[in-house]
Amino acid sequence: MANNKVQEILTQALEDIKTLHKGNIEEIVNLRNKYLSKKAELMALFATLGKLSPEERKTLGQEINEARNRIQLELDAKQKEAQEDLLKEKLEKERIDISLPARNYSKGALNPFYIVKNQIVDIFVDMGYEVVEGPEVEKDLYNFELLNIPKDHPARDMQDSLYIDENTLLRTHTSPVQARQMELRKGQPLKIICPGKTYRRDDDDMTHSHQFAQIEGLLIDKNINIGNLKATLELFLKKLFGQNREIRLRPSFFPFTEPSVEVDITCASCGGKGCNMCKGTGYIEVLGGGMVHPNVLKMNGYDPEIYSGFAFGVGIERIAVLKYGIDDIRRIYQNDIRFLNQFKKKD
Amino acid sequence: MKVSLNLLKQYVDLSNFTIEEIAKRLTFAGIEVEAISHMAEGTNLVIGEILTCEEHPDSNHLHVLNVDLGPKYGVTQIVCGAPNARKGLKVIVSRVGAKLIGGEIKASVIRGVESNGMCCSLLELGVDSKYLSEEQTKGIEELPLDAEVGNEEVLKYLGLDDVIFEINVLANRPDLLSVANVAREIAALLTDSKINIPNYEDKSNFKSDFVVSSLTNRCKQFAVKEIRGVKNASSPLWMKSYLQAMGVRSISALVDIGNYVMLVTGQPLHMYDEDKLEKHELIVKDDKEEKFIALDEKEYQLIKGDIVITSNDKSMCLGGVMGSLACACDENTKNIVIEAASFDGASIRHTSNRLGLASESSSRFVKGTNHFQYEYVLNFAASLVRELCDAKEESDIVSYLNEKYEKQVVVTSLKKINERLGTDFDLESVKKVLKNLYFEVEEKGEELCISVPQFRLDITSNADIAEEVIRYLGFDNVKSELPLLRTTVGSLSEKLAKTRIVEDYLIDQGFDETISYTLVSKKEKDEFKYLLKGENYQILNPLTEDREYVRLSILPSLLSIASYNVKRQNKNFKIFEIADLISKDESKKILSIVMVGENYLRGKMSRLAYDFYDAKGVLEGLMEIFGITQTRYTIERNDIVSELHPGKSAVIKFGKNVVGYLGELHPNYLKEKDLTKNNVVVLELSLDALFDMKTGNIKMQEISKFPTVSRDLALLVSKKIEVKDLIKEIKMSSKGLIQDVEIFDIFESENLGLDLKSVALSITYGSNDHTLKDDEVNASIENIKKILNDKFHAVLRG
Repeated sequence: MANNKVQEILTQALEDIKTLHKGNIEEIVNLRNKYLSKKAELMALFATLGKLSPEERKTLGQEINEARNRIQLELDAKQKEAQEDLLKEKLEKERIDISLPARNYSKGALNPFYIVKNQIVDIFVDMGYEVVEGPEVEKDLYNFELLNIPKDHPARDMQDSLYIDENTLLRTHTSPVQARQMELRKGQPLKIICPGKTYRRDDDDMTHSHQFAQIEGLLIDKNINIGNLKATLELFLKKLFGQNREIRLRPSFFPFTEPSVEVDITCASCGGKGCNMCKGTGYIEVLGGGMVHPNVLKMNGYDPEIYSGFAFGVGIERIAVLKYGIDDIRRIYQNDIRFLNQFKKKD
Repeated sequence: MKVSLNLLKQYVDLSNFTIEEIAKRLTFAGIEVEAISHMAEGTNLVIGEILTCEEHPDSNHLHVLNVDLGPKYGVTQIVCGAPNARKGLKVIVSRVGAKLIGGEIKASVIRGVESNGMCCSLLELGVDSKYLSEEQTKGIEELPLDAEVGNEEVLKYLGLDDVIFEINVLANRPDLLSVANVAREIAALLTDSKINIPNYEDKSNFKSDFVVSSLTNRCKQFAVKEIRGVKNASSPLWMKSYLQAMGVRSISALVDIGNYVMLVTGQPLHMYDEDKLEKHELIVKDDKEEKFIALDEKEYQLIKGDIVITSNDKSMCLGGVMGSLACACDENTKNIVIEAASFDGASIRHTSNRLGLASESSSRFVKGTNHFQYEYVLNFAASLVRELCDAKEESDIVSYLNEKYEKQVVVTSLKKINERLGTDFDLESVKKVLKNLYFEVEEKGEELCISVPQFRLDITSNADIAEEVIRYLGFDNVKSELPLLRTTVGSLSEKLAKTRIVEDYLIDQGFDETISYTLVSKKEKDEFKYLLKGENYQILNPLTEDREYVRLSILPSLLSIASYNVKRQNKNFKIFEIADLISKDESKKILSIVMVGENYLRGKMSRLAYDFYDAKGVLEGLMEIFGITQTRYTIERNDIVSELHPGKSAVIKFGKNVVGYLGELHPNYLKEKDLTKNNVVVLELSLDALFDMKTGNIKMQEISKFPTVSRDLALLVSKKIEVKDLIKEIKMSSKGLIQDVEIFDIFESENLGLDLKSVALSITYGSNDHTLKDDEVNASIENIKKILNDKFHAVLRG
């Protein structure tokens, strides 16, 4: 038969536990003191055990222990619950406004000029071209003479070039690097590209800039023909503008190539059907090139009977303008931060 | 070059081709048609006669007209605002539905009066006002009284029914500055045929006593023909129309003939009034240094090298550029001498550029003319003078020629042509192309001996012949084939590869990369001129004062960009640029950075004004990625760069060499750059110097297994002492024990004393081979205190 007193205490304890307030640890501590401390009523019952028969002692002892364990378990559970509630409440209070500004981890932006330049350079490096540079203040010899543009050729007009003195000027194209490299390689095959700044005596406006940049390509070896140039440029332009673009060659003239070509690609906005962008032609002119003129080979130490080669030149700003729909070439050189920050996406 | 379609049609049958087809074929054969235009445009046009002209009841300038449009359209009512509208006038009427440049003509009611059409001016038909008189631009066109009412071919009647091809003549094809040669190309390309060009005979009826010669080799050929008894009136409509179509204004019959023959043949002509020449001689010289009064009544100073045609040693014409006023033809001219000559292009270019007298004829000489067609040209001109000016007598041709015509022959082969092109054309197609283009082909075994037509000045080698073939047959025939070569490894040069590392680092740190102009102003050229030896290059012929010198620092350009942005309310940013700079003595790759305003760490909520230490941080970051330890470079107080704040700047040195500088801008310089209200911090560094530093490979170092101990030390020292010197002494004091010394506070206040500062340092002790004992550390600290006191009078703060 169960001890009434023990049962009474247990019932009271469970009753008390039910009335606990949420998250109040103090009340739990009080109940622990009330029911589980040495002075607690239940504990006092242990003292009475000595007077009982071994049989009764065992039964009551067991009962007390069970009651104590029960109360302890209940209180532990309540305490854990209360602690969790408290923590939850605390964390709730610590809540931040996630809409506030982030700490800045933003990268900088490249002027689209560099995006295009790096892309073009990387495409040709992947094709096995070596990247070289040359001086921007150039001798007339390299800029003109060795490129089959003799003295008194109209292309040399003072009107068109920025001169330092009679024999020195700011290079008008990157082609002089061709002559310099041929001189350096002494008749050996070569496969180079040269990015760089170039200068003409042009007033700056929407489509002209006295300073602009080109990437020059030159390949000299045995048995090189126009078909090789066509395929190389096709590969290059499709990588740069997308696989669905087609190219076409048109005859043109440059003193240092023969035959010379202008290269067009199908217009991005109409895909070749003809629209305002391409003035109804379906194509947009992107670069010039051709077979290296035999005179140029000869003048620079290559036997045109053995070697042939192709050369081409791409205008960096021209490509940037086309690729990104830039309405005025001067924007590239103004470097308005709001303009630059539009070019953060990795392309 | 503007080419009239009507004129082309005289030489080649183009009835089977549309204008667009012709243009496209030309363009893809290397003769780019840049634009197609019409002399005049308009549909539903008819010639009418104004029967009645009443004032509009509700307007003070409009008229109400009844216009007879002939039997087909009858009489119609038109409201017209032209001041010259009047009864009896023959006019151009655009009927309802007419499409004009300005839009479509619709039936309408103008202020209550019905109007069915419009009376037109030539402007409304699209004729350029430069060809029209003032009256013609102000009112409707007044047609001759004999104009046929009801005639619907109005543009043809007016000589305005022509289409103009605007051709971009490439520098190697000066022969295309001739309508006849353009016609030759068109005939070959479109009709597989040759052109029908009249053969003008020599109709001379007396022998000229003119003496012609040249005392300079700058004249290759000089020929004249005398024509007597001319009447120099105005040209007929057909002549005016052709000239207008090709962009030339009609002046008088003789001038028009000169221009017309030049446009057709490419050979510039000059006409002298024979009666104004002192002597029957024309001698070419290039050593006259005298004043010359030209046709335009202006005086020009001649110098040695100018080609001059003299008579009795008097300058009568500036060869290829402009005639003299003294012997100019006018309306009273009776007898003329026509000259067809060839002058050296370079000389003509120098003269015309110097005097600012570029013309259609000078530009033809500059680009190159056919020296050997003068007989044809003079006879052609003479036939026109007979036709238009009633000339009675003409002489034979008197000529001077200093070189003989030699046929240009290119020896090549079918194989060579195909090799260059990457094609496999057969012999027959190649021969056909060349024959159509006026080449003669002779086969000698495998070889092809190809004679170049006289008018082609650009063909000298196999490459040129290959180009003729491919431009005719089209690049579509070229097989696209990547070159088969030994494999090469593509690579950036070492310098470019390292430049990419710098760019990537700075972009990662949030800098924007700019590109600016190499050319700067006289003022900017001297700013921040410290890293390159030698002077700036100066441009001989600059476009503006702002772009006259080759820069020796990028900073002035970056500061202009900064100023541009600040003016547009972009006030916080950091930018950089890398460029090759070149002086008269050397060239270097330079990096410049500029930081303006505040670093927005968390939007505006947390921001920090850029200062010296930002630039220093960038420098240290760069050195770190290039593996250059702090012992290999020094940052020293700046006493060189006057554009920087003397107290907040430093120079960067590798050994004794200054390789860069950094810091905040001097207030005076900020003012000059219009940036007074902004923090501006800059850095400029020679990347050549950085890239040249040798660095070893990374080798892993053992990490100590033993714990470290740290001790703090707060010291009072003079403000003049740099903390780096304190740290250096501390590190030296106990080598092997001290791993790091960090500053955790710098404090200045009046309480400390005006020239003192408090420096709080944290010293980290550690050893690789044992756990440190307190005694060791204590002894070290005592030692440090003593050394700092001895050397810097540093006192421990209590």
